Amino acid sequence: MSSPTDVIERQQYLAFALAGGEYAVGILKVKEILQYEELTRVPSTPRSIRGILNLRGSVIPVVDLAVKFGLPETAVTKRTCVLVVETAFGGVPTVMGLVAEAVSEVIELGPDEIEEPPAFGTRVKVDHLVGMGKVGRRFVLLLDIDKVLSAEEQELAGAAALAPPPIEAPPGEAHAP
Amino acid sequence: MEDVEIDRQALVETFLAEAADLLAQLEQGIVALEARPDDLEQLHALFRVAHTLKGSAGLAGFDAVADIAHDLEELLDRLRARTLGADRGVVDLLLHATDALRDAVAAGGGPSRPGARAPEEPNAGTPPRTAEAAVPSAAPRRAAPSAAGRTLRVAVRKLDHMLDLSGEIGIARGRLTAMLEKGGPLAAEEILAAHRDADRLYLELQELIMKARMVPVGPVFHQHVRLVRDLASAQGKQACLAVEGGEAEVDTAVVEAIRDPLMHMVRNAVDHGIEPPEVRRGRGKDPCGRIVLRAFHEAGNIVIQVVDDGAGLPRDLIARRAQALGLLPDASRATEEEIGRLIFEPGLSTSEAVTDVSGRGVGMDVVRRNVEALRGSVSVESREGEGTCFTIRLPLTLAIIQGLLVGVAGATYILPLEAVVECAELAAEEGGGAGATGVLDLRGKPLPYLRLREMFGVPGPPPARQNVVVVQHGPSTAGVAVDVLHGESQTVIKPLWRMLQGISGFSGSSILGDGRVALILDVPGLMRETLRRSARGAA
Repeated sequence: MSSPTDVIERQQYLAFALAGGEYAVGILKVKEILQYEELTRVPSTPRSIRGILNLRGSVIPVVDLAVKFGLPETAVTKRTCVLVVETAFGGVPTVMGLVAEAVSEVIELGPDEIEEPPAFGTRVKVDHLVGMGKVGRRFVLLLDIDKVLSAEEQELAGAAALAPPPIEAPPGEAHAP
Repeated sequence: MEDVEIDRQALVETFLAEAADLLAQLEQGIVALEARPDDLEQLHALFRVAHTLKGSAGLAGFDAVADIAHDLEELLDRLRARTLGADRGVVDLLLHATDALRDAVAAGGGPSRPGARAPEEPNAGTPPRTAEAAVPSAAPRRAAPSAAGRTLRVAVRKLDHMLDLSGEIGIARGRLTAMLEKGGPLAAEEILAAHRDADRLYLELQELIMKARMVPVGPVFHQHVRLVRDLASAQGKQACLAVEGGEAEVDTAVVEAIRDPLMHMVRNAVDHGIEPPEVRRGRGKDPCGRIVLRAFHEAGNIVIQVVDDGAGLPRDLIARRAQALGLLPDASRATEEEIGRLIFEPGLSTSEAVTDVSGRGVGMDVVRRNVEALRGSVSVESREGEGTCFTIRLPLTLAIIQGLLVGVAGATYILPLEAVVECAELAAEEGGGAGATGVLDLRGKPLPYLRLREMFGVPGPPPARQNVVVVQHGPSTAGVAVDVLHGESQTVIKPLWRMLQGISGFSGSSILGDGRVALILDVPGLMRETLRRSARGAA
């Protein structure tokens, strides 16, 4: 039954709870899991950027996906974590954090256990999903973290141009034709 | 076999660094030769450079480079023997040869002779850096030296000293550890004294490392010698570039960062500043325009000036353009200061036509933004008909600043201490006003100030006692109202994460003693914001 190719195609995902739902990201994207500590807020950024934190000397931003999905901010409890993920923005590897209510488990899914995402009914945009993973009788939303976060970046770039203190004129790119 | 391959890697890397230097020397020498074609000493120097390049290229297996260098040598030999004069055509040929050499260096080595061991691929043995440089063949040739600029030559003596110091720090640490482990009734003062010893050594080491990073600005300046010549001749102008104070040293990161702004400014000087020769003759000037790149130290800063003896800023034209763009209310009443500020606005260009050189109105705006990103400032002085002088002021180092820690609603922010003039208490009746800006009475003088609480949208009433930090940027001062002052601290600057760089008001971040992150406030940005908001409030 399990031919070698089958084994290769099975992939591991890290499942975490967020805003009452269960989500997962490819485990190879996750660099580490930190306990949630108070973050430094950055004024005039969208609410989905929860703040920045010090990861052993480098400063990384932390995104609250709950806000991104249109829900209230994730409340901080004892089990709240920050998943440190590595994604690529335009080819540049970037490290950032994701707030998770709790990290539940590592799940292994084969292609036959991943369903196409439904066109509606989830809070997440369909193109931000890899699919729906079947774990027992539950469904876990598999996030395409690169897409989710690059959408975040675009939003932020837009927010930066309109940020409360626009200095004189919108900075830059005002090329004459 | 493996070892041989590694040796070759090292050889190639050394050659690449050396070649970049030699090529820059060649270029400068050739341009200098054009100015003084009879300078035999210059010819000898050029010949020596070409010869060294040939030798090193042969050694590193860059046969194409060696071949071109050989031809260049022959040409120089004929110049030396006076069978050929160094006229314009020959100089052009020499410069083209330099370009060809640069391309050949970028294309990578590998013996081209069939007898030699065939490399797996043409680029085998060259580090990826060059392979990348070779791909965009249409990219400007100047990309190569900047890529090579990522390495730094440090005197071994300095490294030895660093090693000594780190050893001493190790000893001091050991002593401290022993004291702490022994426990018992150790006097706190004793431990503190041991800690201070270690601290002093650490600061010494830090200073040494910062010093090792200092490099002279000369090489960056000299890169523009060729640029000026080529640009001027493309526009039928004559111009030469002089470098003054090239030995002034700055942090290597500063050198990297000023490359682009400098290029914009030099291009501007040729394009907008220097007039065509006939116009210059008519004005009684030397037909050959003179551009000076100057560097000197001044009070913990490096000052870089780009001076030209050209037409100066066309103030009427600038004022009219600015009015048309809505940047200036009344063109006829523009002050000198306003003109100086306007040319750094995005979108403003005085060029009648967009050339491939400049005229898109992005140049000076980019310069200002780049310079301010380095916590520097840029200003301009100009006299119509006599010339223009751009002055850039930059801190000597980018890595560490003295900061004033301030608190706003529980969060800590850092103001660069160099921008802070003084701190004062904000009287309760002044602090209670609404809106993000206000004006306070500082020893009888009105001072506009910005309330960070309001600007950052912090809810809730401000504390009973607030403080105002008076900051300065260029000629203007403004106040920044904060909740509390936490005191001074040396802070290591971390760049703002790329996505957050567009957010104005912050220039970077730093990690506090307790491990939390604090944002560094961008004083020029805050200042403009204060002035803009108070101007709007007054209108």
